[in-house]
Amino acid sequence: MPRLNSMPSAAARMALVGVLICGALGAPADDRVHFVIPVAPGGGVDGTAREVGRALDALGLAGSVSFENVGGGSDRALGLFVENEARFRDALLVHSTPLVIRNVQGLFPLGFRNLTPVAGLVADYGIFVVREDDPMEHWKAILQRLSDDPTSLIVGGGSARGSLDHIVLALALGAAGIDARRVRYLPYDGGGKAMLALLGGEIDLLSTGLGETLSFTRSGQVRVLAVTAPARVAAIADVPTLAELGYPVSFANWRGVFAPPGSPADTRGAHVRRLRALAASDAWQAALDRHGWQALDVFGLEFEAYLEDQEAVLRVTLSELGFSR
Amino acid sequence: MWEGIAAGLATAMDPANLAWVALGCLAGTLIGMLPGLGPITAIALMIPVSYSMEPAAGLIMMAGVYYGAVFGGSTSSILINAPGVASTVATSFDGYPMARAGQAGRALALAAYASFSGGVFGALALLVFAGALASWATAFQSPDYTLILILALSSIAAFAERGLVAKSCVAALLGLMLGTVGADPESGVPRFTFGRLDLMDGIAFILVAMATFALADAFHLLTRGGDDEPRTAAGRHVRLAPGDARAIVPTVGRNSVLGFLVGVLPGAGATLASFFAYTFEKRFTRNPACGVAAPESANNAACMGSFVPLLTLGIPGSGTTAVLLGVMLSLGIQPGPRLLAVDPGAFWGVIVSMFAGNLVLLALNLPLIPWLSRLIRISRPVLIPFVVAFSLVGVYLTTLNDFDLYLMVGLAAGALVLRRAGYPLAPLLLGFILSGMLEENLRRTLYLADGSWASLAERPLTVVLAVACLVVWIAPLWRRLRHRADAAGAS
Repeated sequence: MPRLNSMPSAAARMALVGVLICGALGAPADDRVHFVIPVAPGGGVDGTAREVGRALDALGLAGSVSFENVGGGSDRALGLFVENEARFRDALLVHSTPLVIRNVQGLFPLGFRNLTPVAGLVADYGIFVVREDDPMEHWKAILQRLSDDPTSLIVGGGSARGSLDHIVLALALGAAGIDARRVRYLPYDGGGKAMLALLGGEIDLLSTGLGETLSFTRSGQVRVLAVTAPARVAAIADVPTLAELGYPVSFANWRGVFAPPGSPADTRGAHVRRLRALAASDAWQAALDRHGWQALDVFGLEFEAYLEDQEAVLRVTLSELGFSR
Repeated sequence: MWEGIAAGLATAMDPANLAWVALGCLAGTLIGMLPGLGPITAIALMIPVSYSMEPAAGLIMMAGVYYGAVFGGSTSSILINAPGVASTVATSFDGYPMARAGQAGRALALAAYASFSGGVFGALALLVFAGALASWATAFQSPDYTLILILALSSIAAFAERGLVAKSCVAALLGLMLGTVGADPESGVPRFTFGRLDLMDGIAFILVAMATFALADAFHLLTRGGDDEPRTAAGRHVRLAPGDARAIVPTVGRNSVLGFLVGVLPGAGATLASFFAYTFEKRFTRNPACGVAAPESANNAACMGSFVPLLTLGIPGSGTTAVLLGVMLSLGIQPGPRLLAVDPGAFWGVIVSMFAGNLVLLALNLPLIPWLSRLIRISRPVLIPFVVAFSLVGVYLTTLNDFDLYLMVGLAAGALVLRRAGYPLAPLLLGFILSGMLEENLRRTLYLADGSWASLAERPLTVVLAVACLVVWIAPLWRRLRHRADAAGAS
């Protein structure tokens, strides 16, 4: 019979190795950083958490770093994080712009006000992309087409209707006086698949985040017409911002970390100090470069103010799109 | 290209890298063998190991974890009817009955050889066609995907023999319906969640698979009581039966090609490939050996195929490759159209290392078969609790949600009722797996065409796929009509 146990014991061993590798054991609790990731492994939020953790570890800013991917959707993860104070007391929840969007849309009652904002670390700006051989070489040409006939182009994006990529599109078009509700928007499961649809000719214009499609923007197969950053982005230095083109809007998909609701000021302060040191480090700059992310660097109360501003913008845009309740 | 391959060979044959690929394959295949743990878990567990590594070495190891997990994934499907990943569901169709009939060793050996051949073929195809196939991945649009998915759904025909057509269709429909639970993919509005957050993200694949296959099976054996089926000494069969090798060569050949081509498509490459392979094969032969070899060669070839969009386009086609993409970025490797120019060592190195990896996997898996196949000979009173525990733990480890355990037991009870009433459960799982993708692509198709179905016949590729669907759906009817006419003429 002992032989039959070879499978379970292998399981136990692998699990143990996993735990040991994650470094969850043997470090003093106060020096531990535990990241709660509200999505499955893979993608920008998960990547942000892991890069932050990796850099904290390399810089010696944390005694040990561990990660927990909570399954079942980001709403459930947020609910758990907010409601289980004891379990998550020292943990940091990693989240992104959809935290604000789903709340404003009325799809989920909890939002950033139910959390303690610690730091906004990464900004991923929206870009508008066409195929390289497309005769529309400038953003103004797109606007011209769409103001003549809003249904003449099919615009794709990597997220649902009324969600991030659609909102960014609506903001950019709204600044030029075009009613985004009349523009045909086609959602895909992620920016990558939407990029394939652009290359394959199913859509004419792609609204997506820079980080998800960085390798393409440099490949020469597509042309980036505009970026929603406040200033030019080094990775695509030849692409104008919307502001430069005369439309004073900017929008970032932020990724940041939050402490549980009602965290004491000194806990928050300790997290902020740690993450400020991270943001100033070369290791973090290298991580940003690897992924094509931009630094956001808003901490503590600044981050809270940033989120309030974004919420106000989203309230207007989503009601214009007919998506808020 | 030859210089690149030579450089890749040098990278891959570096003793340290050989050790990494072996370690990656070992970890991947062991984790993959456990019910409920698939490539995603395997890769996520190994991420911290890769951090300190050279980029090329890290990529080589993590790729090994991925295809190692796919390689080992068939084990739990065959032994205890518990497919841990969607791409091994089809393997259980013939593999599990074979194991129950005392031929677990044979089924495992078939799976190992087929996986190896599929993997090696896939690596070879990757080596030769990687650059050229990138455009294949962009050729398919939403209407084409819709039709491919309908074609895949038609593989329920394989279970619809002996008058089970209506029941198979009902089961598939139930599966499609289960797949609609959760946030609407287009608007994010909750559907059929009864206000529960636990259902917002839909029901996890692993949950439905374990509930309808492993758990329902265990319940069935439990409630039937009494007569245990005879466990024969044939359980000692640890190798291929005579004639198997010859029988599966053509099977493995055609399904490796099929698997690789389907695998290149972003979406559920390996899963679709394994279902297609199984259905396709059933049209040629009833030999269960081929029924195991076909999906296994296809899903391993598809796994290699999924590296095409990942490496050449930087686009992940599945959840697993999305994690792998994150790993590559963390290692400082930027996959995409420029990878070949910027980092040829990593590009070719990982492809060449796949040959070594597959050899390692075969060498690791074959000696384990005698041990694993003993599992099936454990008496039912011991095995059933073991299966129940493993399926529950497997699901819990994936979703970390206790609600899912209740849901799973409830679904398993429902599945048991269906099974007792003579409904096949495989179409239910198939419908569930395909539901989300089918909905997404069909809705996009209809939106693009302003609600008209005509776009399903607009482009040549779409027309070819539509005709294929029609043939698959009409051929059995036609055959039956002719059969009836013949019978009438004869009497």
